[in-house]
Amino acid sequence: MAAAGKGTRGALNALKNLPRVALTNIKAMPGALTKAPRRMGGKKKRKCGRGHKGQGQRGTRPRLGFEGGNTPFYLKIPKYGYYDDHSRRRQYPPLSLNRLQYLIDMGRVDTTEPIDLASLTISHAVKINPKRQHYGINLVEEGADIFQAKINIEVQYASELAIATVERNGGTISTAYYDPMALLILCNPIGFFAKGIPIPKRMLPPEDLVEYYTNAETRGYLADPQEIQKARLALAEKYGYKLPDLSLEEQFKMMSIRKDPRQILFGLGAGWLVDLNRKTVLKPTDPDLLEFYKS
Amino acid sequence: MAAPFRKFCLHMSVRLSPGFQAGRCTTPRVSACLCSQQATSPSPENSRTDPLKPAQPEFIESKADFKWVERLMPRYQIPPVPEHPHYPTPSGWVPPTDPPPDLPYSVRRTRFSQIPVYEKFNKDGSRKQTIIAHIEGDIWALEKELEEFLPAVIGRNPAMQVNEVTRKVVIKGLVTEEVKKWLLEKGF
Repeated sequence: MAAAGKGTRGALNALKNLPRVALTNIKAMPGALTKAPRRMGGKKKRKCGRGHKGQGQRGTRPRLGFEGGNTPFYLKIPKYGYYDDHSRRRQYPPLSLNRLQYLIDMGRVDTTEPIDLASLTISHAVKINPKRQHYGINLVEEGADIFQAKINIEVQYASELAIATVERNGGTISTAYYDPMALLILCNPIGFFAKGIPIPKRMLPPEDLVEYYTNAETRGYLADPQEIQKARLALAEKYGYKLPDLSLEEQFKMMSIRKDPRQILFGLGAGWLVDLNRKTVLKPTDPDLLEFYKS
Repeated sequence: MAAPFRKFCLHMSVRLSPGFQAGRCTTPRVSACLCSQQATSPSPENSRTDPLKPAQPEFIESKADFKWVERLMPRYQIPPVPEHPHYPTPSGWVPPTDPPPDLPYSVRRTRFSQIPVYEKFNKDGSRKQTIIAHIEGDIWALEKELEEFLPAVIGRNPAMQVNEVTRKVVIKGLVTEEVKKWLLEKGF
């Protein structure tokens, strides 16, 4: 395709055979986008933008925050530790009863099996990042009016009304502590199994959380089961609902499933090893290992 | 002075004991006997020649317990919505009518089975828009019906944009809940 003629005429002739002009095949005229280089003293000639005389021109201004000899504001107001240790505080992202009911309605959370953090993260119901000081989820009472599901759920923190709402519907709830390493495994179990190392023991709660997790009123996992039964009845009396008798129901077996305090995942003990390729679970028999991993 | 001496010590210890590795903790592990086939069924000859290999298997293998692992496999697909005895469900979800409503246009549900009406704000929040997506069929017929419906909600004539290419209708102002309810009543 040779253009007949030179210059503008040749270009116009070439244009007849070219595809339609569009944003994808046009560009700026030559020299349209180039900028003339700045000449010496071209922009700022007289004072170079620093004004007339004094500290401004000479660059000898006092330090930032200096108030001409007064006690400056940043020294006058005392410090207070509102944000002390904020980067190390334990975080519990919320999961509301509203959202939980929605997930159950949509079939994303299975109520025929016990719900723990693993089953919630696997179905992408919650996002937990232990590296950001997340220590689990907080079951929030928002949506307590509409919540109707019957579940066996294990969370890390729950309000009183949230506990009452779950138990009113004939469900059970428990609060359990997971150390960061256990939480990492709980949030990504398959990724952990692929490493080929045995499942570790779950650590016991730190000193300041022992009270919460041994308390029957908060349904702590280290509390006495008989105390929990008493607390269930007391809460039913307080909120004025009739507590269903769990032992008469079909799902009693599922509702009473609890993890061992040293166990991280349902059905898999500490010290066991999962082989994903051969689809087997390997359990140690060495007495020393059994002694080490026992709860 | 300390660094070369430490290096020398490490070098010597490696030379003296080939199994030694500096800086590794010696927590109990069973992984040593897992990868090889010999460990599961040790032959008597090997156990005699190599004193490090165990004579008895160090673990029990359980295929039945793998069902607990299968429960933990991550799910990458959105499950179908189960059938409920009555609608709306406790969380307020209603399925689209079957058969779909007899209209020149239709609004398809999202992959999460929700009505595709969204809010959009620009950077400083001064422009607020409501967007209806997943429109199929005659988009102008939907615009005409919205023009009749919206004045009662917002109290003025609606400012709307119809995008035929992306199949979207953009409404000025936030009327998400009203439009969702309106579409739900139509049967989408």
